[in-house]
Amino acid sequence: MGKYSDSDEWVDVVPIPQDDGGPNPLAAIAYTEEYSEAMSYLRAAMAKNEKSDRALKLTEEIIRMNPAHYTVWLYRADMLFSLQKDLLEELEWLNTVALKHTKNFQIWHHRQVVMSHIPTLPPRETAFLALMFAKDAKNYHVWSYRQWLVRHFSLWDSELPYIESLLQIDVRNNSAWNHRWFVVFARHTDSKKHSIKNGDADSDVPLEIIEREVEYTKAAISTAPQNQSPWNYLRGVLRKKGIGLVELKGFAEQYADLEKEDEVRSSHALDFLADVYAAEEHKERSGKALELLARRYDPIRKNYWDYRRSLLALDQVSA
Amino acid sequence: MSLVSGPGRGGASAGGHVPDELKLVVEKHVEYIQSLDTRQDELEYWLTEHLRLNGVYWGLTALHLLGHPDALSRLATIDFILSCQHENGGFGAAPGHDAHMLYTVSAVQILGTVDALEELDRRGKAGTEKVGKYIADLQNQETGSFAGDQWGETDTRFLYGALNALSLLHMLRLVNVSKAVTHIQACANFDGGYGVSPGAESHAGQIFTCVAALAIAGRLDLVDKDRLGGWLSERQVPNGGLNGRPEKVEDVCYSWWVGSSLAMIDRLHWINGDKLAQFILRCQDPDKGGIADRPGDMVDVFHTHFGIAGLSLIGFPGLIAVDPIYCMPREVTKRLLGKLNT
Ligand SMILES: [Zn+2]
Repeated sequence: MGKYSDSDEWVDVVPIPQDDGGPNPLAAIAYTEEYSEAMSYLRAAMAKNEKSDRALKLTEEIIRMNPAHYTVWLYRADMLFSLQKDLLEELEWLNTVALKHTKNFQIWHHRQVVMSHIPTLPPRETAFLALMFAKDAKNYHVWSYRQWLVRHFSLWDSELPYIESLLQIDVRNNSAWNHRWFVVFARHTDSKKHSIKNGDADSDVPLEIIEREVEYTKAAISTAPQNQSPWNYLRGVLRKKGIGLVELKGFAEQYADLEKEDEVRSSHALDFLADVYAAEEHKERSGKALELLARRYDPIRKNYWDYRRSLLALDQVSA
Repeated sequence: MSLVSGPGRGGASAGGHVPDELKLVVEKHVEYIQSLDTRQDELEYWLTEHLRLNGVYWGLTALHLLGHPDALSRLATIDFILSCQHENGGFGAAPGHDAHMLYTVSAVQILGTVDALEELDRRGKAGTEKVGKYIADLQNQETGSFAGDQWGETDTRFLYGALNALSLLHMLRLVNVSKAVTHIQACANFDGGYGVSPGAESHAGQIFTCVAALAIAGRLDLVDKDRLGGWLSERQVPNGGLNGRPEKVEDVCYSWWVGSSLAMIDRLHWINGDKLAQFILRCQDPDKGGIADRPGDMVDVFHTHFGIAGLSLIGFPGLIAVDPIYCMPREVTKRLLGKLNT
């Protein structure tokens, strides 16, 4: 007795139960039965490669219960295209599934497969992604999908204002910082050629862009100096144009003054300055910044900071 | 192998008493993993069917690292693995499930661990040569990346899995390794890490797959080890646990992904191993066994495996040494990789 075995729609199908080899029968939990019954009809439908509305509905039911079941997605996508279903409707349905199962990644690959059959960006797409980010602004699958979408529809120009709004809400959102990098720098690189790697120096990047990014990042750091994302970003931007960190020495010293050990506001500034001083051949100062990190401001990584200090080849270790 | 979580919770203790000196409850973990197959009456057992073969790999590897390689029946394990195979050489997560890269890799790892790779030719639905071909055919000739199945989703996880399994089978010649390496380089980011695809955010799990793939390809020289090591060591939070990205919460499974990546680039000592061990031990259920993602959460076989692997990595006493590249006992990978190519 079950939803499918009792329905006229599926009367011609003999379900194929799962043979897991185990001795224990399924317990009589209603939901378990519903799921396992649906699965046995899915196996039967797939076995004869049925493409029909009822099979489509069946995949919907199974996905509702268990969206992580990878097999069902492939079958569904196949049917959508052969039955020439309305793909915008599919997206609307996917929205509800995605909002309910935020950790699932099959949903996002399916969305990408569906979207690549739609010629122009559906008007509600970005609003939906914004809704997903409102729930979890660091959802890795959604960000990967968004990068694909930006590349696919060439949405480069509208991205920066959106990223800035996200960073305004949470300046520590590393995903948004990464996306900023992607939008600013990766748009010009041909992902197939790989001639210039994502983080590598690229003399073709206009200086105005570098300056704009440096100013934006400095402002973000000033609102929260102890935030690793913009400091990493800043280093990346400078490296992109081959600019030395020394250029920002004064800026970094605002957050870490070696003469005022008790008032260091950012371990990242100390880290930055250690490299600045080393580049200036002020090895003692560099060593002091690293020693402060090892002893006081980031002691859990003592071995890392000690290694950095060993690279300075100071004549003798003072501390 | 059930992927049902619980019933225990990390850090749970009947008396609510936390001992000063935390111990790894080896016997309890063994019993916990053994008990997983008896839980077929729970819904979650069936909802996680699409992970079953991975679950066997996690449970089995944990048992080996715990020094109890015989806690599961070798024959039953081999039978189950072979029952998941398809005629095209690939393996699904469970009998009747479509073939997929991830399960094919787990199948090779499991058969290798129990020294039964010959069973593929003896009584598999397809022999070793076809298994290798199934994996190799998932490579994109243009980009060097790998898909998980014919659905076409690409992920550096699949690329790593391909190189992992093919090297264990001594069949790397079937794929274009240098193109795969080029693809990994395209996934490198400005912060020294790697993402799931070119441009994607650095993520410790993806870093593991990229660095391990480079290690198998013999191209660790391409890694900026100091920069990557700096980023990875920054994942340790004050309670000793590791997170996977900046400003994210710590989780036992990152003990493995961060730790193994650091080990492969010879910088594991950049994190505090004692503090990490304490964190992992606080995530175990000392009464019923199993390890959770963090203290207070339900235990599961995935985090049990990665917690134990993480402890093995940092040389926790009493555990069998793990290979940071393959996440299998080092003795096993030595045996498999040492075998002459036939
Ligand atoms: Zn986890």
